[in-house]
Amino acid sequence: MKIVVAGKGGVGKTTVSGTVARALAQAGHRVLALDADTNPMLGVSLGVGPEQTDLLTAVREGLATGETEHERSTEGFVDRFGTDAPDGIRLVVASRIDQPNPGCTCCGVSAEQLLGELEGTDQIVVGDLEAGIGTVLRLQPGQADVVVVVAQPTAKSLEVARRALEAAPERAPRVIVVANRVRDDEDLATIHAALGENHEYVIVPDEPAIAEADRDGRAAIDVDPDAPGVRALVDLADRLAGIGAPA
Amino acid sequence: MLVDMRLAVVGKGGAGKSVIAATLARTLARRGHRVLALDSDPLPGLSLSLGADVPAEPPLLAAAERGENNRWRFIHGVGPVRAIQRYATDAPDGVRLLQIGKVTREGMAPVMAATQAFYMTIHGLGRAATFHDWVILGDLPAGPRQTAFDWAPYAERYVLVVEPTWQSMLTARRITRIARAARAEVEMSLVVNKVAGEQDAPRVADFLDLPVAVAVPVDEGVRSAERAGAALLDHAPDSPVVRAVERLADHLEGSSIH
Repeated sequence: MKIVVAGKGGVGKTTVSGTVARALAQAGHRVLALDADTNPMLGVSLGVGPEQTDLLTAVREGLATGETEHERSTEGFVDRFGTDAPDGIRLVVASRIDQPNPGCTCCGVSAEQLLGELEGTDQIVVGDLEAGIGTVLRLQPGQADVVVVVAQPTAKSLEVARRALEAAPERAPRVIVVANRVRDDEDLATIHAALGENHEYVIVPDEPAIAEADRDGRAAIDVDPDAPGVRALVDLADRLAGIGAPA
Repeated sequence: MLVDMRLAVVGKGGAGKSVIAATLARTLARRGHRVLALDSDPLPGLSLSLGADVPAEPPLLAAAERGENNRWRFIHGVGPVRAIQRYATDAPDGVRLLQIGKVTREGMAPVMAATQAFYMTIHGLGRAATFHDWVILGDLPAGPRQTAFDWAPYAERYVLVVEPTWQSMLTARRITRIARAARAEVEMSLVVNKVAGEQDAPRVADFLDLPVAVAVPVDEGVRSAERAGAALLDHAPDSPVVRAVERLADHLEGSSIH
């Protein structure tokens, strides 16, 4: 199964991706976490640590100086540009910040192409996408089984989510909306008014444990796995694993 | 007073770039500066935070066409200065707003002319005397990518908007490195946003090795304005964030008088 997570910058895509990936791995699934953001931060939310996360991008940028060798196969790519994350997860950074170089797997292949090439039958791929809707608009059939759209109760994030929800259903069989940082009924009403109620929703309350994780550069699931906001994302992972679970 | 203020507001997604940029633009305009706000984010943001009405179709769509070899060029009679004069729209307090094309259902292709016209405009602006005494203030999309691809060639100063979180601090460090690798002399003003505790601002300053230009408190007024999709100055004019942006305007004026 391949899951991608989309939304406006700052809505919590990376927290959703990292926590869902960790919960799936803790449930016994083999998980490949794909950081497809051009500002890669998934390592932080997986619990790899901030400086180690930044080093992964340095390896990618090292291509420019010759410190890193190019890699043309997908398997080699996961090996060379990946690192081990907690609970047996393999984390790989897909995008270089600058100097894309078409024609080479490690620098010129887009996030959606890479998603298409990654094997999704005996592992679960969790892809944290770039802010916005660009990658969702370019998704081809087979590149993702589930699109998770993250939104929070702000006009800007809801506008981005609305556009993602227009595009996603014809590109992936299942679409889930994560309503993030919900404090009260008015927040939820704002989200429902903008996006409609006829989606598969996951409501994540505004969560101090997640704020603490962000401040300290840790995985939310390590800060407090039983906090309501974290719990909601673990439940999302359980729900996702219910379909397309590995044999 | 002649000011020479050419700013790019940068940072991680959700750090508060658009709210700070829009409130700063209107604050400077209220102080008598002529302000051109440049919105290069293909996602919605700055116009909502300014409280500006913008047409559904980006006005810059009309400014560019494909010429020989299929290369984009301005239409006849239009250059960077006239593109701004003709295609910028009015925002509150007299701010002028020039917008890139916004992403559509079919992606960026339908607004490519506006994207190209915007890029040609900002790259041609440096030589234009017409705007020498204007404040030029760009709001960039999330992350380091536009900095890496030279989407703020006008900027003599980056306003780094940073939350006291690791992701936000790492993003700011990446942007700073990329910006300085391209132009070593670029100035940095650090805005620590959503400050909740006494240690938040010093921690960010230490990490980035930059002095704090202004610390902006976390504020319910911003949350409420963002939920409503309204400008902070209209929705919560008494917000402590408005006062913090006043201090940021002081800092920038003090750094820019020639």
